[in-house]
Amino acid sequence: MVPGPDKINWEAKVNGRMVSFPIDSNAILLDILRDKGGSLGTKRGCDMGTCGCCSVMIDGTPKLSCLVLAQEADGCEITTVEGLSSGHHLHPIQQTFAECGGSQCGFCTPGFLVVSAALLEDNPSPTKDEIKTAIEGNLCRCTGYQQIVEAISKASEILVSGDGIEDSTSPKSDPHPGFAGE
Amino acid sequence: MSMEDGSSEVGEDSDSPTSDEMVGYRQQPGKLPFSKPGSGGKNRFSEPTDQSMIPESRGGGLAQPWGSHKHDNLVSGQIIGKPTSLVDSNWKVTGQAKYGDDIRLPGEIIGRILRSPHHYARVLSIDISKAMELPGVLGIATGDDAPGKFGVLPVTKDEHAMAVEKVRHVGDLVACVAAVDEVTAREACRLIEVEYEILDSVHDIKMGLENSENPIHDRGKYHIGESNVQKRVFQQFGNVSEMKENSIASHEADWTFTGVNHGFTEPHAVVAHWDPSGRLTLYTPQQVPHYLHRALADVLEVPMHQINVYRTFVGGGFGGKSDPFPHEMCAAILARKTGRPVRINFDREEVFWVNRGRHPSKISMSLHADSEGRLCGIETDALIDGGAFASFGHVTTYYNGVLHTAPYEIGAFHYTGARVWTNKPASGAMRGHGAVNSRCAVETGIDDLSERLGVDPIDFRLANLLPPHSATITGFRVTSIGMRECLERVKKESGWEEKFRKMPLGKGIGIGCGFFISGSGLPIHWDPNKFPHATVHLKIDMDGGVTIHTGAADIGQGSDTVVAQSVAEVLGLPLDMIRVRSRESDTSPVDLGSYSSRVTFMNANAAISAAMEIRDDLLNATSEITGAPTESLVIGDRRIFKKMDPAVGVSYLEALHKAQEDRGALVSSGSYRTPPMGRAHKGAAAGLAPAYSFSAYVAEVDVDVETGQTKVERVWAAHDCGKALNPLAVEGQIIGSCHMGMGQVLSEEMKYGRTGHLINPDLLDYKIPTVHEMPHVTPIIVESNDPEGPFGAKEAGEGPLLPILPAVVNAVYDAIGVRVDELPITPDRLYKEIEKRCRKEKIGDPLDLSPPTLLFSPLQETLVERAYLHSERDIERRHDDDPPPYHNGALFGLDPEVPGDEQDSRWAAVVIPPEGYLDNPGLAGSAWKHAERRHRED
Ligand code: FES
Ligand code: FES
Repeated sequence: MVPGPDKINWEAKVNGRMVSFPIDSNAILLDILRDKGGSLGTKRGCDMGTCGCCSVMIDGTPKLSCLVLAQEADGCEITTVEGLSSGHHLHPIQQTFAECGGSQCGFCTPGFLVVSAALLEDNPSPTKDEIKTAIEGNLCRCTGYQQIVEAISKASEILVSGDGIEDSTSPKSDPHPGFAGE
Repeated sequence: MSMEDGSSEVGEDSDSPTSDEMVGYRQQPGKLPFSKPGSGGKNRFSEPTDQSMIPESRGGGLAQPWGSHKHDNLVSGQIIGKPTSLVDSNWKVTGQAKYGDDIRLPGEIIGRILRSPHHYARVLSIDISKAMELPGVLGIATGDDAPGKFGVLPVTKDEHAMAVEKVRHVGDLVACVAAVDEVTAREACRLIEVEYEILDSVHDIKMGLENSENPIHDRGKYHIGESNVQKRVFQQFGNVSEMKENSIASHEADWTFTGVNHGFTEPHAVVAHWDPSGRLTLYTPQQVPHYLHRALADVLEVPMHQINVYRTFVGGGFGGKSDPFPHEMCAAILARKTGRPVRINFDREEVFWVNRGRHPSKISMSLHADSEGRLCGIETDALIDGGAFASFGHVTTYYNGVLHTAPYEIGAFHYTGARVWTNKPASGAMRGHGAVNSRCAVETGIDDLSERLGVDPIDFRLANLLPPHSATITGFRVTSIGMRECLERVKKESGWEEKFRKMPLGKGIGIGCGFFISGSGLPIHWDPNKFPHATVHLKIDMDGGVTIHTGAADIGQGSDTVVAQSVAEVLGLPLDMIRVRSRESDTSPVDLGSYSSRVTFMNANAAISAAMEIRDDLLNATSEITGAPTESLVIGDRRIFKKMDPAVGVSYLEALHKAQEDRGALVSSGSYRTPPMGRAHKGAAAGLAPAYSFSAYVAEVDVDVETGQTKVERVWAAHDCGKALNPLAVEGQIIGSCHMGMGQVLSEEMKYGRTGHLINPDLLDYKIPTVHEMPHVTPIIVESNDPEGPFGAKEAGEGPLLPILPAVVNAVYDAIGVRVDELPITPDRLYKEIEKRCRKEKIGDPLDLSPPTLLFSPLQETLVERAYLHSERDIERRHDDDPPPYHNGALFGLDPEVPGDEQDSRWAAVVIPPEGYLDNPGLAGSAWKHAERRHRED
């Protein structure tokens, strides 16, 4: 058997939380995030940089985590799909993906969300072409991208308008409603 | 509190007789300030139901140009027809949705599969001793551990969990290992020593028709010759003998289609866990959990009730996750051996080894048109490459033929099909199963035929459509048909008349149509025959929320959403009060699974009937409270009230609590089974469906004649889905189908090298279109209101894929005058065709080529007139509650009331090759030269 790799201590801020544990020096960031970093939302579609499902933000820049050695992200700030919402308030991009049909099976969704959140951070009102360029490295087999592009444009409108997204735990319909005039 | 108090209270409060005298302690009504259980939410006040969503047959504002529907009286104006986010979308967008590889159980270990490096070989021995010694290896299994056969179709079980005797393609399973981590498991696979005896492998699809020394499988007495023919079909319907003499124009083409893969983003993954009570739970992203459930029981030799199949979120299926898979067996076997939960996760390459993608095929297509501009004959010969296993192939072989017997009325249909085993990863069911390639050949053929006749191809189609409530030439029962409207809409919206055959070189527009089953009439497991295809259970307790139990597999298409919508609509509730439990076979009633576009049609129908039971309970309870007769009551927005006097009524919760008295939670069960239909010949059930979807697409392309590069610029996509229960999802299906079809027509291809190896098992060289390749798609929903569909709905998941291929191919012809007969149309292939045309016309520079033009012949007017008459006929028929029978053949002068072959001796219905056929058979037809073993003396 080939001799095992060295162990190194790895530290990063994942979705705002400092984590630190020993890892193999040749470990891939995607594996570390999924197996140890508590981010099963980051998906593995190909493991070779062709699908975009594993996209995460490293210090604000979207990267394919399957092509990044964990070491390279040592000490960095990493944002995954789980880090986009604040509490139960979805990020506008999450809300519009749901509303516009940007997510069907949903497996590509985390990658798309991370990439488009990064785009909107940089450029709150991107043009259609800028949107397309931003997501060109992400494959989606279900939606044909059209509703994804719409979702990103719509999220940009929400961001620009400054409207917040409602808390998803707020009370839902009353099963015993009164009726007008009661 | 004393008894006397109680009786006096009752006596004071009501003047009801004291016949229901109370015995024992009872809570006193009104004495204690109980809060109303379940309230406290927002939206205290009812918004009036949306009148524009109530059908006009019930006095609402929803126009019904196709007439009323049996479910109209169930519409409460809540949610059916409203664009609706998927009910599980928040799970997906927050990264909380758990797919196969996201199931992590405590104590899990990792499984890995050892795969064959050879195309075809006998396994002489497997030595696992070295691998077992590796520290960290906990268990190894081989074919000996589970020699039982399985397969998705009971008639063609030809798969094993791992190789028993032979491996049949590179990537076939040989053994599997469970270890503490993936590195160890991989290393252990390397240490397993396997001795093979290499056999001659078959790669060429034509070779599959010949006798072989070592056929890939042995079907015992049903084996066809000594060949690798897995299935063969022969069909002749209609006036086959005279179709050629009757024709004035014919089209002929020999197509080559390469194999394509589903390309779902989630690689297969599975987790198996035997719990302390000795039951297996198998977590897997499956489209068809029920068939897996059956296969597991067979292979593991434990009863079905000992197994719980848990469907995780499915990261795309498209048919590629609808077989029971050997790796699912492997996980269960390893977990049993090691006593630990085992997780197996594929890498992308393994996804291609499992494949089950669209069959590579060779299709010869001839079409004949007569002097009236009628399609007097379709001849199809389809040889399809099944790869190493049968999978759904039995059905695929039929579908390649029978699914193009409509939407056109035809004079004759002659189909020969054969599926052969080769030493490649198995082909199987993929979106548009079996219909896509031959549909492409038919629709491009019609384009060519129209050109030869000097007519517009849309008008040609409009003049040859089957009417509503008719039977196709092979006896399929067509109910609703919105084909004409689809064609008319895309014609208008694309600006067809200004563009077709009128654009400059390099710019082109093309049309293609589709026809697809909305559920298959026969379930795969015929026995017991009276089982429903879909069953839905509802449970409603005092909180008012409705729990739906269903086994229908949501694979991203939104089936959970549709079933929730259907129940919400019938009960007049908002969607947030409905929750769907569809994951586990332990709790879900059996559903046959997400294949053949059956789920919306069958499962929503089952849901509606379950909800109707609850609705009756609520109406009766309301009637008891208010005294209003049940017939006068309607449901809407969490209230049940008198239609004529809405102030008389109760809230949903009051009615519910009344209905729950002495009974507790309301539960109901609803189911769906297809009605008896179709004819009786062998194979008559293949392609039989309770309804069919129709579609017509126009594509506009830009072709660079100097490089052969094709770009699709616009697509107008009209699809008749009966009724869009969730228009957002229907549009998503249409656009997504365009994407997948565009891949097949322009860039996707499973490439096999000279040595027979698959050379692009990855997403870098297997080219799925990115956002830049996608044209703008205009989805156009046509609602033909199917009489048996739930609220009128039919499928929208597969049919929309069919038309995009021929629409693009026809548009390429319109742009540069070159007809291709091989997909995908990659620049190199197309440029060769451009060069060919240049040489033929002695033109030096491709830029000097002229695009095709169209001069109408007198036939054009005949067709336009006929189309007009037919559209009148169709409107009349669709509004007729009991239209007279209409069998294919009436257009050719036969009596519409009777099938052609029963009234005219020239019209055939033959499913075995007649004598003499083998003198000059088609390519696939030559499969009939072999006799089945049982019919020979040996
Ligand atoms: S998993 Fe990283 S790009 Fe596919
Ligand atoms: S939603 Fe399924 S791959 Fe994008």
